[in-house]
Amino acid sequence: MNTLALLQSDVSSPSVAPVIFAAITIAILGGALSVFVVLKRLAFIGQGVSHAAFGGVGIALVLGVHGATTMGAIGQLAIVIAFSILAALWISALTRISKGRTDTAIGVVLSASMALGFVLFTVSEGGHEHDDHGHAIEAHQDEHHIIEEILFGNILDTDWTKAGISIGFSLIVLMITWFMRRRFIFWAFDEPVCDAYGINSKRTTDIFLVLLALSVVMAMQITGVVLAAAILVLPGAAALNISNRLSNVFGYSILIAVIGAAIGMLIGFQADYPIGPAIVLTQSALYVVTLLMNKAMSRLR
Amino acid sequence: MNSDQHPAVEIDHVSYTYPASGLDAQPVSALQDISFKVDEKTKLGVLGPNGGGKSTLIKLILGIIVPNQGKVKVFGLSPTKARAQGLVGYLPQRIESDLDWPISVEQVVAFGRISKLKPWQRLGKNDLQSIQHAMELVDVLDLANRHIGSLSGGQLQRVMIARAIAGNPKLLVLDEPTVGVDIAGQQRFGKMIETLQSELGLTVIVVTHDMRAIAAMADRIACLSRSLHFHDAPQGLTPGVLAQVFAHDVAGVFGDIHIDAHRADECEDPSHTIRSGCGCDEHDCSDQGENK
Repeated sequence: MNTLALLQSDVSSPSVAPVIFAAITIAILGGALSVFVVLKRLAFIGQGVSHAAFGGVGIALVLGVHGATTMGAIGQLAIVIAFSILAALWISALTRISKGRTDTAIGVVLSASMALGFVLFTVSEGGHEHDDHGHAIEAHQDEHHIIEEILFGNILDTDWTKAGISIGFSLIVLMITWFMRRRFIFWAFDEPVCDAYGINSKRTTDIFLVLLALSVVMAMQITGVVLAAAILVLPGAAALNISNRLSNVFGYSILIAVIGAAIGMLIGFQADYPIGPAIVLTQSALYVVTLLMNKAMSRLR
Repeated sequence: MNSDQHPAVEIDHVSYTYPASGLDAQPVSALQDISFKVDEKTKLGVLGPNGGGKSTLIKLILGIIVPNQGKVKVFGLSPTKARAQGLVGYLPQRIESDLDWPISVEQVVAFGRISKLKPWQRLGKNDLQSIQHAMELVDVLDLANRHIGSLSGGQLQRVMIARAIAGNPKLLVLDEPTVGVDIAGQQRFGKMIETLQSELGLTVIVVTHDMRAIAAMADRIACLSRSLHFHDAPQGLTPGVLAQVFAHDVAGVFGDIHIDAHRADECEDPSHTIRSGCGCDEHDCSDQGENK
């Protein structure tokens, strides 16, 4: 089902099942990855990659791939994923070249990608003006719709096809992370000695960043570019407030992510708030709660 | 493969130069034509000033960098292979681990087994036994369940040694293990290394700039200041040799020792690398920043 068909279908009973399934799966992914993101201090890389994805959307538009049809949406997603992975690896390479200055590398990639995105948006708009007039206006509206979706997310757009793609990618990333957990934990705990212990730190960094880039793109499906990094940070940060045991931290993080997504969606649907921001707000509230629990626990000791 | 036929470490005419790191930088020569062997089950101390190439030597033995010239063999294998087989344990100079990690002492020691495990394997009985034994040997068994961030500096170092030996290596490389440790602590550390060596049949390489510490830890000594100056039992280590290795840093300690600036040229001559005790001037020896 494409967007138009979804909008034309019975609005009073929108198909929320795929939305819920997609959101919960992506929340679980965020819960698992966020522990590494927080402990390895990669929150800003997530931010960089999500904004860099904007450049990917620009490329998709110039290539004439629009998100209005299902095939278009898949094509656009593929281009955004490819571009985000490149951005993550670019940040990693620039960090190495600039002697470990990750913030500089992110600054460069984030701004370059966003600038590229905006330039390409303009170029693709300009291209349409030479077409027949009616088509250009339609495409123009399409672009604005896409920009809005990319920046702020539109999870209500999720049909079973989109949900299936999100769930599939999330499960793949989760499986690879599970498979590589020992290596990732060692790398994140003590990167400087990794190589001496037979773990290639460069390769491990790059593999994790690819997984992070994929997760960011999945998170964008819920929250859009602006808030994507949040659901890859908040659950882990909250879990670390309340536990000192690694396995528990992962458990709590996933739990907090899922509860946050569930309550967020409930509030969003009930009060007709935008779903993505509602989820981020709920997870933020849970973070504050765990922070207070942390303070209370340390006072009791 | 029978590694007994090979020395633990064989360094054969090895040179290493760090490439220039910018338009306005020069390449830095860290090691020049070094050759020596470390026999199995010996304890070699590598002594030298800051910037003398000690860290470079460690990176070469661990296979993190590859020499520009010459060959490094660890138990007859390439360093990368030896490392992949878990033959080498390593204690870094600075513990840069993230101590905020929600992780226990035992979990940290378990990382020592990482090269022995396939990704899908869980820790088996053998692994758990090695981890226990490693913690026992360095006396941290009672800390097993403690959070890694709750340890004292000394305890943390012992945990990191336990991590280094948990993989049952045959070679243990220690980088400046006694920085900031008092003399009694150095003696205790030396005893612990001796215990590890006899219990596990280890070959030990200790790298340090601390002349007092090295006597407690090593039975053979190599002095390194870009080239190799001396390689023998500690008894042969005379103030004169030390003075030459450390340039004028040591002069104050051992009296007024004059160092010929022109003898720096001899450092370039491979025939002088062993037992020649060639002197270097200060510029040559002490300012070759140990590149990261």
